Amino acid sequence: MSMQIDYNWLLVLLSYVVSVLGSFTALQLAVAIPLAATQRQKTAAVAMASGAMGLGAIWSMHFIAMLACDNGMEVRYDPSLTALSALVAFAACASGLMLVGHGRFGWLRLLAAGTCMGLGVASMHYIGMAAMLMAAEIHYDLHWVAASVAVAIVASMAALWLAFNLRGRLQMIGSALVMGVAVCGMHYTGMTAASFESNGGQLPDGYASGLRGDNLGLTIFVIVATLLVLMLLLHYWRYRYRSRISI
Amino acid sequence: MVELEIQVLSDRREGLLVELGRVVVANNFSLLRQRLTQDSRGARLSMLVRGPVEQRFVLEEMLGTHNRVLSFEAALAGEAGIAPTGAGMFPAPADLEAATPAPLPPASLPDVSQVEHILPKLAQDYPQIYPWLVALENSVDDKVRESSLMLAGRRTGAWVYKRDYALGSKLGLAEAIRRIGVPALRQLADIEHHGVHVHILNSPLCTPGTQSGCKFYGGYLEGLLGASVEPKKVFVRHLGCRGTGAAFCSLEISH
Repeated sequence: MSMQIDYNWLLVLLSYVVSVLGSFTALQLAVAIPLAATQRQKTAAVAMASGAMGLGAIWSMHFIAMLACDNGMEVRYDPSLTALSALVAFAACASGLMLVGHGRFGWLRLLAAGTCMGLGVASMHYIGMAAMLMAAEIHYDLHWVAASVAVAIVASMAALWLAFNLRGRLQMIGSALVMGVAVCGMHYTGMTAASFESNGGQLPDGYASGLRGDNLGLTIFVIVATLLVLMLLLHYWRYRYRSRISI
Repeated sequence: MVELEIQVLSDRREGLLVELGRVVVANNFSLLRQRLTQDSRGARLSMLVRGPVEQRFVLEEMLGTHNRVLSFEAALAGEAGIAPTGAGMFPAPADLEAATPAPLPPASLPDVSQVEHILPKLAQDYPQIYPWLVALENSVDDKVRESSLMLAGRRTGAWVYKRDYALGSKLGLAEAIRRIGVPALRQLADIEHHGVHVHILNSPLCTPGTQSGCKFYGGYLEGLLGASVEPKKVFVRHLGCRGTGAAFCSLEISH
């Protein structure tokens, strides 16, 4: 029997805010990748941007959204799959940003990078869902799954286009808002694809050692605080950089 | 006296030696040896020049910002500053006689010292820079007025690009004009934009009956867009000016 899902709308809103905050920090770091003078600088810029995007915008958003989702039973998370989902999000973002971070911004490059990022968001989500430990089974409607992947890819492409092609406020704010739509749109479309069916109270193996929502909340808090600090440092660094450029 | 090894890369070889040779000669340097080669990136010109030490940085500045130059390296002769492009960087001096350009009077070249003097003030007061540009106009000889304004514009444009527009990827010319050139120029003047044409309305540098100050805008757009497009080459043609009776100043931007 399919279970009813209720959402805490405050946490849903918070999940979008966190995805926009992570996207803003990540894309502001990413647009500096073409300016890197050495391979070391480029690697550092890609790593920081991918961290902000993969862990901040995608991974944290997903688990805040999962905390917002109430299906009437306690849910724990498999630590290995949870860690893997974060790793996949990071790696996919790094691949996408590496592709888009050098040379002229062509449509093929955008398609490849957007696909990497979109698949990263989707993979993170479905691995994160697979990490759920509860007395229920998850079934997916494949049409909605395909739609969720398409939303992630298309919106990622739009966000990357805005970030790398435009200049000014629309570049900074618009790209983050659209990337937030990519991440949240994918997640909630993916949740529409999922139906939870009770298995009669039978808990899966590893349930006892699974991560509880409280543990995740602390981790998410640390990541979001790090994002805020990174954003402030970025702002300060840019201010200093601008004042030091000689005419 | 000082001897410099200079290496520049340009997108095409035609006329390169003549144009850069004029700059060398105009700065009282002599061209001792040169070698012009073509590779996959473009035409590479290596020069060994000798001239007065006090003109060294002026020469480097002018070559480095020359519109034919894509990349530029200079080092004192004998230093390990420049990697040779192949065996035998320079040919025998006997080959040079015909290639050395005829000297031009320095009057056609910008007054670099005046421009250098005004640049920090432009940066400090940007975008309220017209008083300083008028001061520059009045401080240089009529013959070097346009080239000095152009150099000031190019340096200002390149600086504005680095300061405000460098984040992001390289763009095509049309996108660069629309997303960088137009908003940047709007900080300085009322403009209209139609594709590759930009009209500057009511330019304080070009009042009717006076000389044209449009060269500043041309240099500004070249400096601004040259750094933002791929390939790195932008030219601005001056089609009309209020100073010479046109309704507005008109510029055409091309690769």
